[in-house]
Order: sequence, then C-alpha cells, then structure tokens
Amino acid sequence: MLWKILCGACFFLLMPASAFAGQAAAEPNTCLTCHSTLPDQALAAPATLFRDTDVHRERGFACVDCHGGNPLTDDKARAHDTTGKEAAMAFRGKPSGQAVIATCARCHSDPELMRTFAPKQRVDQAAEYATSVHGKLLAVGDTKVATCASCHGAHGVRLVSDAKSPIFATNVANTCASCHADPKRMAGYTLPDGSPLQTTQLADFQASVHFEALTKNDDLSAPTCNDCHGNHGAVPPGVGSMANVCGTCHVVFQQKFEPSIHNQIFDKGCVECHGNHKVAKPTDEMLAAAAPGICTPCHTAGDKTDKGALAAETMRTGIEQLKTRIDRSRELIASVGNDGIEVSDQDLALREAASKLTLARTELHAFDPARVDAIIADGSKIVEDVDRAGQNGVAELRYRRRGLAVSLGAILFVVVAIALKVRQIDQRRGGH
Amino acid sequence: MKVIDWLDERFDLSDVKHFIAEKGVPVHAQKVWYYLGGMTLFLFGVQVFTGILLLLYYRPSASEAYESVQFIVTQVKFGWLIRNVHSWSANLLVGLAFAHFFSVFFLKSYRKPRELTWVSGMLLLFLMLGFGFSGYLLPWNELAFFATKVGTGIAGAVPIIGPFTLQLLRGGEDVTGATLSRFYGLHVAILPAITTALVALHLLFVQRQGMSVPLAIERRLRPGERLPQMPFFPNYILRDVLAWYVVIAMLAALAAFYPWELGTKADAFAPVPAGIRPEWYFLAMFHTLKLLPAHILGIEGEHLGVVAFGLLAAFLVFVPFLDRRASRGERSPAFTIVAVLGLVYLVAFTIIGHYAE
Repeated sequence: MLWKILCGACFFLLMPASAFAGQAAAEPNTCLTCHSTLPDQALAAPATLFRDTDVHRERGFACVDCHGGNPLTDDKARAHDTTGKEAAMAFRGKPSGQAVIATCARCHSDPELMRTFAPKQRVDQAAEYATSVHGKLLAVGDTKVATCASCHGAHGVRLVSDAKSPIFATNVANTCASCHADPKRMAGYTLPDGSPLQTTQLADFQASVHFEALTKNDDLSAPTCNDCHGNHGAVPPGVGSMANVCGTCHVVFQQKFEPSIHNQIFDKGCVECHGNHKVAKPTDEMLAAAAPGICTPCHTAGDKTDKGALAAETMRTGIEQLKTRIDRSRELIASVGNDGIEVSDQDLALREAASKLTLARTELHAFDPARVDAIIADGSKIVEDVDRAGQNGVAELRYRRRGLAVSLGAILFVVVAIALKVRQIDQRRGGH
Repeated sequence: MKVIDWLDERFDLSDVKHFIAEKGVPVHAQKVWYYLGGMTLFLFGVQVFTGILLLLYYRPSASEAYESVQFIVTQVKFGWLIRNVHSWSANLLVGLAFAHFFSVFFLKSYRKPRELTWVSGMLLLFLMLGFGFSGYLLPWNELAFFATKVGTGIAGAVPIIGPFTLQLLRGGEDVTGATLSRFYGLHVAILPAITTALVALHLLFVQRQGMSVPLAIERRLRPGERLPQMPFFPNYILRDVLAWYVVIAMLAALAAFYPWELGTKADAFAPVPAGIRPEWYFLAMFHTLKLLPAHILGIEGEHLGVVAFGLLAAFLVFVPFLDRRASRGERSPAFTIVAVLGLVYLVAFTIIGHYAE
C-alpha cells in the first residue's frame, strides 16, 4: 500500500503542473455534472463544495487537476480510466497520506506556477511539512496525522484571509482541536519527554488572554495555535526556545528576561510563570511569594534569607504604591476637572505616570528591584506634580466660590439699596 | 452737576433735560414685560465687554484657536470668568431675546405705529442667532466643529443659493481653518457693526415713540383716558438697573458653578462623536428637519423644511403689516393663536430635540 502511495506521489511530482493547471476551465466538466447528482453524499458533497466556493475552481482548476480522469465524457468507465489512455492524467481517485502532500505540492511547491496565481505566497509548505511532527509521523506510515486537506479542506478551499476558512485566525484553534481535543485520536501520542499528549489545549486556550484578545477584542494579531507552534512545520516549541516564541510578540519582556537570573534557572522560560495555552491576564497579585502569588513554588514569603521573596515583595510594594497614588491623583483631577478647572495637562501627565507603571511591570521581568524602583521614582515624581496642580485647583475653586459669595453679597446689597431707593422715590412722587 | 452745567453752557442741553424730565413709562398690570428689552440690551453690553477682553488673547486659526481658549481659561487672570460669563451671557441673551420677542408678539406691541421697531427687533433676533452660530465654532472644539458642519450643511440645503451659501460660509467645500477665519470675522466685526446700527435704530424708535400700551389694556381705556405714567428717570431706570444686577448675579453664579466646558480639540479626521447637536436655540429647527421625510411631494424634505423656515422668518418680520386688525386697534385672536402655537412648538421641539438620540 505504502509503495503505491509513494509511487503516486512521485508521479504527481514529476508531472509538469502547468500542463494541467486550469486546462479544464473552459471545457465541460462531467465530474461535477455526475457527482453532484449522486445519492451517496461522500461522492456528491465534494462536487457541491467545489462548485459553490473554491479558490482553485475560481482560478480555473478542475477536478481532474488533482484526481485525474477524463472530464469530457459522461461514460463512467472512460471518465474513471486508470490506464492513462483516456486523458493526460490517469484517474487517481481520492489521494490520501503522502499523496495529498504530493498533489498539493505539485502546484504549491512550483515557484513559477505559483507566481502566476499568487506571487506573494510561499512555496516551501511541503518542505516545512516534512520537518513537522505531522510530516515525520506520516513519513513513517502514520496516516492518522494531519495533511494539507485536514486543515485547509479538500473541496471548498478558501483563502486564509477568508473568515470562513478553517485556518482563518479565529478558526485555527477549533481546526487543530478537531484532532487534538479528541482523546481517542490522540491516544498513544506522546510529548518529547515521553508524557502522554494532553487533549485540553483548546479548553485551556479558550481561557487565555490570547483567546480573549483574538475573539472578543477582534485583535487578529493575537496568537493562536500556529503562531507559537508553526503551521506547516507544526511542532511543540522546544523548552529552550520558549522565551523566543513568546518574544516574537513580547519583545521587551524577552529582552528584560534574557539576562535575568530566572532565565538561567527556568526550564520552560515564560511558561514557568504564565503557563502555555492557558495564559491568564497578568496581575500585580501574581508577584508574591505567598498565595495567590506565583513565586510560591520556589520562594517562601517572610523568609528574610530568601532574596527572591524579598525582591518580589519590594517590587510589588513599589508597583502597588504607584498604582494607588495614580488612582488617587486621577480622582482628584477628575473632581477639579468636573468643577471647571482645566486639567488636560494633568490628564496627560497621569497618562505618562500610568505608562511608567506599565514600564515598571515590564522591568520586573529582569527581577532586579533597583531597576523597578528607579522607574517607580520617576512615576511618583509625575504624580507629585499632578497632585500639586490638583491641590492648586481645589484652592482655586475655593477662591472662586468665596469670590462669588462676596460678589453676590455686594450685588444683594446694591439690589436692596436700589429697591429701597425706588420705594422712596415712588412714595415721594405718590408713585405706583 | 458742575459737569452738566459746563456742558449745558456749551451745548445747550435743554432739549435733553426736557426729554428726561418728561419721559414716562405707562403703568399697568403687564408693565413687567418692559424690562425684558432692557435686560437683553444689558446682556449685549456684557457680550461686547467680555468679547473685547477675549479678543486680547484669542487666536483665530485652526492650529491655535483651541489652545488660545485653553490658555485663557487656565493661565489668564480671571480668564475663566470672562470666558464663562461670555458663554453663559450669550445663552441668556438669546433666551431673553426670545422672551422679549414673544412678549411683544402677545401684547401686539408691533401694531401701528411701531412696525419698524418690530422689524428692527426681529432682525436683531436673527443677528443674535447669527452671533450664537458663529461664536459656537470659535473655540474649535470637537462638538462645535461637527455641529458647524451640520449647521452649514443645512444652510447648503437652501434651494438655488444653497451651494453658494455653503461655500461662502465654509470658505470651501468643508469646515476648515478658512471657516474659522470667516466665522471669526463675522462674529467680531460684521455682526457687531450691523447689530450696533440696528440697536441704535431700535432704541431710537423706542425712545421716539415711547412704550407701547398692550392692545388689550388700550382697548379698555375710555376715549381720552390716559394710563398713569411712571417717570423714566429715575423710577423706571432704577428698576431696570435692579434687573441688570439680578442678571449679573445669575451670570456670576452660573460661571462659578457651571463652567462652560471646553471639550477636546477639533479633529477633522476623528469619527463623528455621538450626540452632535447644535446650541439649544437651534434645536427645534434641527429636530424638525430631522423628522421630515426624505421626500415630500417629490421635493427633498430638507430643502422644503429650510424653505419653510425661511418663509416663517419672513412672516415674522412682516407680522405688523399682516395683522391689519391689530393695526386698527381691534382684537386679533388669529395672531394670538399663531403666537401660542409658535411658543408651544418651540418649547416642545427644543425639549424633544434635547432628549432625542
């Protein structure tokens, strides 16, 4: 069986793809005519899918470009001729295993051909696939693994940028989970360390900050499975490359973390503290050697000899103090702002203080309290200036209201005086 | 008194002295309405005074207008007070001008021989609205920017002359720095010049013809009977001054407790913020235009609405010439009904427009 597949694959690879590409576009396609009317859905559905929406059909490809056979005849035997007498390519039936890769690669690994359809598209998918866990297992005869069609679909293939495509950013996790969340299918597979491959990745990912950003905040740049594992060359990121994987997006954190003591100690880099699939939104509470802090497995709160615990406490205290001061300052500025004092400069300064707070939270990944303290001191200085302006605002408001009270008193005095004068004049003139 | 004697010796002020001594104000149950005109005039004075002070710091360009107003309210000594008084006074002025307009309408004081006093007053009311519309844009904040876009768009909907008016107002296709320059020129030079001339004329008419006695009261007088008079100086003028002081107190309290918001700087590329609406005195018109169907009898609804408002303005200007019965000293209930309907419409649509989405 395997040699048949390999021979098939070789046949497909050796045939010049351009010889087939789009050849049937303007010609009658009896494949679709017959298959779409077949009662067996396994045979009819591909035709229907291909006919409705398929990126290949839209670019002029037909069934025969992948399956071979003669599309010009309505004679079943001639159409499905496997000898190669009827058509340029003998009928191949449904490719499976390596033949799928070969079928797709026949065009997708041909730079000259791809340039005519999608000049920007890469042509190394098949090569990458061969280096993936999927590809390696397929090479040794494991036909349960994913091939091109498992993720992209075989018929009704859509562009990656099409939101309905199974490999559109928001759909990738579900597509991967169609296999990886299936305990039966995953049974027997192991991680490089020999532990069984879990099937909780999707559930974990759905509880992560990345999933929230991707699906609830519509941030398509947020990572999904393929952003960390690779797509065609999908493998679990190696322990050593974990910080690099996270660092592709979280560059500054990686820069801070790399020279730190933890980088030398941690086996799994970022994952040690943040987890992998279930990356939770980071909070200041995480930075503690006591529950619910995440330093607990290694550090002990209250132990004066535990430098790490003391560092965590120092950094956490500084960050929380700045946070509290910013909040308090923001309330003060909002209050005087509501009362009519112009505070746009202070709003701006508070934004700068908030960015210092973010910087401090970033800096803590170097695990050096002195560096965090320096940033906290900068932030505190800004807050002090804002507070001073806020207090000036409060004093100004008090002054305005006092001024108003004095003015109203004076006006009232004049009004009463005029009223009395009017009365006097009216009475003198026998007025009205 | 020495100064007056000194002037009298040189200019012979006997006419003026006689006028002051003789000028009287009729005394009756409705005399309270007489104060509205004086209060409106006083607020116009406040606007001129505070406006001149603001001019010392305001810079009429798209890049500096917002910042200069920000500078006025934060850095200039009492700048916040001047700006807040100017903004609040503008609103009170329009409110009092409307109140004055309705009181004169209801009392039929426009009737012969005061037709031209009414016409000059109506033109002054329109000018006040023009002041409000042009002044609203000057701080160059987001709300004013988009409201001006909508407002000038409505002016552009006038059939035939609309596109020209739009270009004239905006100084181009869109609201830009050129619009700001135009509105500034309009607000601080053109409108004040016309207003000053019209106010002078309006006051001249009032002084020359004296206060009108409400039609209903006049009709009750027996032939030859005259209402008791209150001397204008000092009895009436002191009451006027008293009312002005009350207005000053209101302005001071509003400025101190409800400062006029500056908002965020206008950005032509920013998305249109929610709740764009004009100043309250344009709300009734704005909301009416919004409610009109897209097409009425094959004509574009907005065009028809703008024309209808134009005709309404013309009708109001010519009311004294249309109300023949009042001119003859007869009751004219039809015009009273028009005034009531107008008032109800204005109040109702302003409130609905305020709360509408």
